[in-house]
Amino acid sequence: MFDLDTYAYTNRWIKIHPLEKFVFALATMLVCLISPSVVVVWAVLLLMTVASTKGAGTPVWHFLRFMMIPFSFILTGVLTIAFSVSHDPGGFLFGFTFGSITVGASQANLMKAGFILFKSLGAVSCLYFLSLTTPVLEVISVLRKLKLPSLFLELMGLVYRFIFVLMDTTALIRMSQSSRLGYASAKNTFRSLSQLISSLFVRSFHRAGELAIALTARNYTGEIRTLEKEYPVSKRNYAVILGIELGLLLLNFT
Amino acid sequence: MKRSTVKPILLSIGYLAMVYLIWPDNAYAMHIMEGFLPFNWAAFWMAVMLPFVIWGMRSIRKTVSDSASLKMLLAMAGAFAFVLSAMKIPSVTGSCSHPTGVGLGAILFGPTPMTVLGMIVLIFQALLLAHGGLTTLGANTFSMAIVGPFVSYGIYKGLQKLRAPRWLSIFLAATLGDLMTYVTTSFQLALAFPDPSGGVWGSALKFMGIFAFTQVPLAISEGLLTVMVFNLLVAYSRNELKVLSVFRADEWQKISPSKTEVKA
Repeated sequence: MFDLDTYAYTNRWIKIHPLEKFVFALATMLVCLISPSVVVVWAVLLLMTVASTKGAGTPVWHFLRFMMIPFSFILTGVLTIAFSVSHDPGGFLFGFTFGSITVGASQANLMKAGFILFKSLGAVSCLYFLSLTTPVLEVISVLRKLKLPSLFLELMGLVYRFIFVLMDTTALIRMSQSSRLGYASAKNTFRSLSQLISSLFVRSFHRAGELAIALTARNYTGEIRTLEKEYPVSKRNYAVILGIELGLLLLNFT
Repeated sequence: MKRSTVKPILLSIGYLAMVYLIWPDNAYAMHIMEGFLPFNWAAFWMAVMLPFVIWGMRSIRKTVSDSASLKMLLAMAGAFAFVLSAMKIPSVTGSCSHPTGVGLGAILFGPTPMTVLGMIVLIFQALLLAHGGLTTLGANTFSMAIVGPFVSYGIYKGLQKLRAPRWLSIFLAATLGDLMTYVTTSFQLALAFPDPSGGVWGSALKFMGIFAFTQVPLAISEGLLTVMVFNLLVAYSRNELKVLSVFRADEWQKISPSKTEVKA
């Protein structure tokens, strides 16, 4: 249903311990965020692209397509930072003047905007690495090792499960509505959507009740206990991660 | 008009049209992307978010402590919010955008559990859809799962006290909740990236101006949609709505059946 989720379950690095992938993604993201040098950010972008495509086996073309998804927000935000409005046209590299005000971009602002653009893309690539290699349930098990409240994690697991159930229901309702021209005009769309949302709500409500009955029948007392998959812990991987992060940090001084 | 003034105007119209064309399909309700905020601000918003989430967890723990069905219901509510935010709704101006579901969720479940559910939804949006991010989770949770629901709920309760018609209070709650979410996001961005000439305020105005093009029409259509959804729920699902009152301090019993013919 979600491309990212599909890759998370089918990638080549699925057998690697999720904590290692989690640490790798978050540590690199942190390095990317705190580094003042644009070289580090480029290195992170390259590293994560190679790790996700050559390493985990996501097709390069798909990875680039994924990277395009957040691009529109980043671009809008960055352009907003680059341009500023002022009464004084001096100091702008170029700009447009309307009467007494000038909209323009100064060199410093453009540099800053470009840096943020790459930094954000670098961090996004780290996020993609995590989503492309680690299924959500494994992320939750990592969070459990990090001692987050169990109620929160249980809710997270349940929400993840229900998302697919409800997406399925939505797709079915939507299909039958559109086959009856439910989305043929703006007015129809609003009416169909309101019916879709309200019946989705009622369905989820009843499903939740049925699930609670089913769980109670199986002696549910407030905790769903399942066996977690065992993964080999590799000291070598941690050493490699540490080496990479240190190397990236050192790049700052070049 | 002089030629020299026409060109910049055309350029800026072109720029806005471009922003507008890029946005509609991807406008997942104003999430700040991964890595966009500097480290200090990301950490700051995480710290701001934390007490609210702890408060939300407390209230959830109290409600679900002895009832499995309420816990399942909450989880369903979270998934419902996620699916809602992945839907496309027509915007008043003809394009499509994604609703936030903030108003609907806050009125149905109350604002305190919504902080926790909203945070979970944001984590999944980051992991499954690459919208928002893990470092900006604090900032996004603050705008979408704390400010939005509390504003929506406050407006809804306030207007109900003033005996405003229900459609009006729901419409304003959903619309203004949406708008406040986007204003908060603009300020978060402005605080992190103040304008060299206009300062924080100038920067906030810039961000609001750019995002208003998609967010204001979206807020209005989401308001309309929320009213229509509520009319259907009140007409056909009153029992379910009554059960939900356990999540909030007030009760749904006050709804009188005679008011159900309100049209959006």
